[in-house]
Amino acid sequence: MKQFILRRVAQLVLVVFAVTFLTFASLNLVGDPLFNIVGVLSGIPDEQCEAVERGEISDTQSSGLNMGDCALIAQAKEQNNLDKNVVERYGIWLSDMVSGDFGTSFVNGDEISDIVRERLPVTIRLIVLAQIVALGIAIPWGVASAYRANRGFDKVSTVGSFGLLSIPNFALGVILLYFFALRWQIFPSRYENAGWWSELKALTLPALTLGLGLAATYQRLLRTDLITTLQEDFVHMARAKGMSDRHIMYRHALRPSMFSVITVFGVNTGALIGGALVVEQIFSIPGIGTELVEAVLRNDPPVVISLISVVAIGFVLINFFVDLMYGYLDPRVRTS
Amino acid sequence: MAETHVANTQLSVRDLTVRFPTTRGTVQAVNGVTFDLAKGASLGIVGESGSGKSVTAKTLMNLLPRTAEVSGDVIFEGEDVRQLAEQGREHFWGVKMTMVFQDPMTSLNPVKKCGEQIAETLRYHLKRDKKSALAEAEDLLEQVGIPEPGKRVDQYPHELSGGLRQRVVIAMALACEPSLLIADEPTTAVDVTVQKHLLDLLDTLRRDRGMSMILITHDLGVARGRCDEIAVMYAGRLVERAAPDTLFGDSRHPYTDALLRSIPRIDQPSHTRLEPIPGRPPELINPPEQCAYAPRCRFARPDCLESIPQISGVAGMHEFACFHPANTDRGREALADNLAQGRTAAGLDVTDLGGPS
Amino acid sequence: MTEIQSTGDDSRVEVMVPDKVPDDGMVDDAVRKKLGVGFWIAVGWLGLLVATVLLAPFLPLDEPNKLGAGPARTGPSLDNWFGTDALGRDVFARTVYGARVSLVVGFIAIAFGMVVGGSLGLVAGYFRGRVDQVISFLFFTLLSFPGLILALLITSTFDRTLRTVSLTLGVLAVAPVGRLARAATLVFAEREFVQAARVIGAKHFRIMTRELLPVVLIPMAALALLGMGVAIVAEGGLAFLQLSVEDISWGVIINDGRGIRDLQENPHVALMPIGVMFLTILALNFAGDRVREFFDVRETAFQK
Repeated sequence: MKQFILRRVAQLVLVVFAVTFLTFASLNLVGDPLFNIVGVLSGIPDEQCEAVERGEISDTQSSGLNMGDCALIAQAKEQNNLDKNVVERYGIWLSDMVSGDFGTSFVNGDEISDIVRERLPVTIRLIVLAQIVALGIAIPWGVASAYRANRGFDKVSTVGSFGLLSIPNFALGVILLYFFALRWQIFPSRYENAGWWSELKALTLPALTLGLGLAATYQRLLRTDLITTLQEDFVHMARAKGMSDRHIMYRHALRPSMFSVITVFGVNTGALIGGALVVEQIFSIPGIGTELVEAVLRNDPPVVISLISVVAIGFVLINFFVDLMYGYLDPRVRTS
Repeated sequence: MAETHVANTQLSVRDLTVRFPTTRGTVQAVNGVTFDLAKGASLGIVGESGSGKSVTAKTLMNLLPRTAEVSGDVIFEGEDVRQLAEQGREHFWGVKMTMVFQDPMTSLNPVKKCGEQIAETLRYHLKRDKKSALAEAEDLLEQVGIPEPGKRVDQYPHELSGGLRQRVVIAMALACEPSLLIADEPTTAVDVTVQKHLLDLLDTLRRDRGMSMILITHDLGVARGRCDEIAVMYAGRLVERAAPDTLFGDSRHPYTDALLRSIPRIDQPSHTRLEPIPGRPPELINPPEQCAYAPRCRFARPDCLESIPQISGVAGMHEFACFHPANTDRGREALADNLAQGRTAAGLDVTDLGGPS
Repeated sequence: MTEIQSTGDDSRVEVMVPDKVPDDGMVDDAVRKKLGVGFWIAVGWLGLLVATVLLAPFLPLDEPNKLGAGPARTGPSLDNWFGTDALGRDVFARTVYGARVSLVVGFIAIAFGMVVGGSLGLVAGYFRGRVDQVISFLFFTLLSFPGLILALLITSTFDRTLRTVSLTLGVLAVAPVGRLARAATLVFAEREFVQAARVIGAKHFRIMTRELLPVVLIPMAALALLGMGVAIVAEGGLAFLQLSVEDISWGVIINDGRGIRDLQENPHVALMPIGVMFLTILALNFAGDRVREFFDVRETAFQK
């Protein structure tokens, strides 16, 4: 077990490096961060400024430059480490990041750590709520369909889960928004946060949007695993002990049948993060997704890099803890 | 037959029939099984896999799949068990009647501690609180001869050996002090070395508690020393029933006879050839109207292929279902005729094996 | 098969019969090996869609971007089957043209995923060892990005042409397809027919392409159908973030019609293409599922 954890931690660290570096490098190599700070001045060729420095030409109108342009560029480059190569910059960024300094936005100068602190909790609440919705629906649903497998209810629910899996989440979001917020006005159509109750109401439709499809995924896996578990001897034994069917389903069969669900739980959290980007747009939720999309659209690499890194690290961590969950579900894993 | 000691009867099974509809046809798993079990007595049911012995046990325990079609009567201490099942009676199975399964590796829940699993029964049926249930569980573990019971209650099944696990299963079954314990091949899946210990344990517990027991096994030897009566099943039917000594010394049904010949016996000279039973067990789907054993039987005569032999013999003492029973004149005649022809009525080649028939 | 064992001290008769009494009622629900009517309905819908897209220029359709193809914000009518949007554009025409982009994106994406992921998975599963470790780590890293975030990263750094968006989504397909291909190769590489090819000294490349590829393709085919649906949905998601192609796709149309005012006054602008999209994804999922069952690929191969 100890070795298993060590190996997973090593893997985790490697992946975090790979993910952050990939993000960092792609945005720095392809985009032009300098443009966002000094605007059109970034178009001034380096040679021209070098010539100014050497005193070969003067930065006057005749050379197409204004007084101090080159100094401005040099300052911007130095402040943001743009004069160094990508690997060096990545190193600097990483050590800053580790010490809690996420840097500032190129565009509006906001502290990125403030952005994260403000936006991340909303998204986390949304995703947690979505998982609760998904599991809350999937567990009784899966138990009910496995209990009488291939009978009436199970057949209907197979069709139902198939349908749910085929609705794109943005389409489901629009449909829920249309019926529950606009037509019947049961829930608000926009995010609001005047106390936890109003936020919970505002997050209900978004969480359902994300959670319903996931519930179908979980239900199918749970159903399959439960059907296998129900053929195990210990279930017969529990019946021979005179336990009621409900007791057997929930107390005996459920836990050993949760492996597949737990396995995809982590992966699906990633899908939820992606889904949250879209759903936050539909319901105007000021979460990290909305901010990320805005940062992309306004071409703000430091914000984009930091937010993606935060999300990716969170995702990797979740999957790490999911692996540890196996130990709880099956004590046999713990000792081997 | 059982009317002589009806007051003492704990379980009475009458004409029990179980069928499973499948797309290939109806499986006739159990056919008209009838027997009685006195209070505190033990009955061995012996037969091959597919002979219907486990299905019989599952019927008693209400463990059959919903698709099963059951008919006949099962009366336990004056109550109609099949009716209890339909009414969804709680606190009957697991309390008065319990069962121990074949494989202790799989019949314990892998994600629950042993103590918890025993305590669960007590809490569920007898509404004990958690603490006293666990204490009782520990006590039960000690009774089934598990060393260091205090440590075992906190262990998971996979941390125990097969023999210990089966003891845990037995402790679980005994928790609510049942009056009937059904043990379905309780030692098949454990090491040969611990089989005897487990069987002796079951026997002792039964005597100490005045509990009745049905011991299901494929092994005549296992049933011999530990049962008051042995019932042999073949192809869903009870073919012979008698006290062990009668059965071993004076068997009537050719199947029982063949089973006895296929196992080594101390009272025979060494190097006596063991005789395998020719052929294979019959299909249980749409069996023909004939003695199911006839195709493999050395005694089979034309009448065996015409109808199904019914139970006869001395009721409650020695019953069997055969037209040409072994160790009788009719049987000896049939065998002699078959030997003379070199084959039975069902077309099985026969040669003289020697020894008494 | 009747087998009788005897052991010395305790007499034992063990007669084993392969046929056990069915334990539950399901034994006979063995999969009947047929694709079934539903499969052909699904294929029919997809065929109709492809045909409509190919024939779109010859059909009596309005220009998808023509303003005032009818009065603005009208519901479905004979003139405008799916009604018109806020700018008076014909939603049916837009849905048909949107299908073109969505289908092309879905197809290219999964094709890219199959070629790249499939080859990597095949190589990893065949050679094992170091090669496998490196490729598996690559898959693991790719899967460590939440999918849509990776897509957003790529489309925001490059451009938003049809080609970029398709290939981006193709990159997303690499890891899942690759893992499946690797797992299938690991299994099949042990089988006799591959061992036999090795024994007669066939070249690695030949074994991989002639022996392994055909069998590995079967489970991949099922995944391809499902994956195409996933790619179409992902494109729609990108469209919602305004990061997809600057053209008409289903996602773009739905996004156009999802404003509060649009939804209140003419919900059909969003709901009609949603319906078409739903049917298409449903058809892809269903067909994929049937193919998977038909070839009896284990469900778990698709997870993770």
